[in-house]
Amino acid sequence: MIVLEQKKFQEIEKMTTGYNRLLVLGCETCAAMSFAGGQRQVAELASAIRVARKTTGEQGEVLEEAIARQCEPEFVDLIKDEVSGCDAVLSLACGAGVQMLAERFQDKVVLPGCNTTFLGVTEELGVWSERCAGCGNCILDKTAGLCPIARCSKQLLNGPCGGSMNGKCEISKDVDCVWQLIIDRLTRLNRLEMLEEIFPVKDWSPAGHGGPRKMVREDLKS
Amino acid sequence: MRRSFKEALASGEFLVTAEVVPQKGIDAGTLTPIIKDLNDVVDALSVPDNPRALMSMSACAISRLILENGGDAIMHVSCRDRNRIALQSDLLGAAFLGIRNILCINGDHVRFGDHIDAMPVYDLDSVQLLETVRSLTQGRDMAGQQLVGIPDFCVGTAANPEADPLPPQLLKFEKKVQFGIDFVQTHPVFNIDNLVPFVNQAREKGVKLIAGVRLLMAEEASSYKDGSYPGLFIPEDLLAEIEGIKVEKSVEIAAQLIKAMREKKLCDGVHISAPGYEPKIMDIIKAAGI
Repeated sequence: MIVLEQKKFQEIEKMTTGYNRLLVLGCETCAAMSFAGGQRQVAELASAIRVARKTTGEQGEVLEEAIARQCEPEFVDLIKDEVSGCDAVLSLACGAGVQMLAERFQDKVVLPGCNTTFLGVTEELGVWSERCAGCGNCILDKTAGLCPIARCSKQLLNGPCGGSMNGKCEISKDVDCVWQLIIDRLTRLNRLEMLEEIFPVKDWSPAGHGGPRKMVREDLKS
Repeated sequence: MRRSFKEALASGEFLVTAEVVPQKGIDAGTLTPIIKDLNDVVDALSVPDNPRALMSMSACAISRLILENGGDAIMHVSCRDRNRIALQSDLLGAAFLGIRNILCINGDHVRFGDHIDAMPVYDLDSVQLLETVRSLTQGRDMAGQQLVGIPDFCVGTAANPEADPLPPQLLKFEKKVQFGIDFVQTHPVFNIDNLVPFVNQAREKGVKLIAGVRLLMAEEASSYKDGSYPGLFIPEDLLAEIEGIKVEKSVEIAAQLIKAMREKKLCDGVHISAPGYEPKIMDIIKAAGI
């Protein structure tokens, strides 16, 4: 999932000031799973904005809505009437959702209410951690299913750096050294010899460094 | 003319290198006399590349200063701040300026430095950088294009014998030696027996091992403990021992380590660092009887 966190309220308040009719728009997939932009967070944030506006004397109406996915046009188009009736949309989706709104509603102000953080997993309720950097060329078959691109602070491909200690990363004792995890897992799998292979220099062009990425599946196009 | 570091490596004699840290700014007024003094007693001066991610003058410029003052320099090349284009470009520039010795490392994470909001690069890792250097010394860049004028480097890398567990570090070292390196400079060593597997591996491959020796200062003890120095792992009993001690005692501890490593033939030389206390390096060398 894409993990999001809601922006600080002060930032949202400042960003939304001056837009009389404001639509707070949630996204019921990743944003909801992150407890940052689902229907419940939309209601809470809209209430907070209303209270703040009452305090500052700002006029206007704060509307609430949530759709299944802001990154897909068929869901976005479902709310075109609500959007047309407001001055700005505060999107509680990831950056992709915000931009999809901006593309579909060309003459409407669209504001980001969340920060898109990473591609990750839910470790437990309230704890998410990064697993994938979306580098476009998966190497998990060579690294025991653990990604050094996303989980090594230095994105090293040929083993741990000299700062790895007791299985922890040099940047913090709270961060696991992924290379130690890889070695431990390969040892359990009896595949440690895989690490003797020298990882070649990475081609970063599929990772977005070759320009904005686009994927076309001709078999699926209508 | 004095011998080069490469010639010193080939001599079979016990080697001494010392670290000089480039300053933040362009006034080398304090550094120059230290360089001049140390040039007389060491085989080369090793120049870190923005160590601990603290921004300072380029290692290349200070390496050149060392050469101009009659010494030989080992320029550190870190993967942290440059992509493959910049790394190759700077390596060619260094060779053009007469720098012949390089130490290829990953580099401490930016989190430890004074620009913690910087984007770390790590386009290559240290193993891949060694491969890149080999390619340059064979006349081609990473894209396979021919160079006009081929650099000749004496190539080194780093290893950390104090890391726990050790096998992953040895595995990485094994990868590094495949690229025909000339020497390995270790992180500071305190449990000298930890050098055994590294020096065995190095000697098998004809690589010289230069053991790191660091002056431990009492006033820095808390920073050593809290992990502010990445890759510097000091045993608890030694940390307790240095609390409140005077610098003379610190010098003695470093000198004793050198003597013990030399006596046990655990290395082919030592690399002495004393960041901020460089004049003490001379005292360590004297006390170690080198």
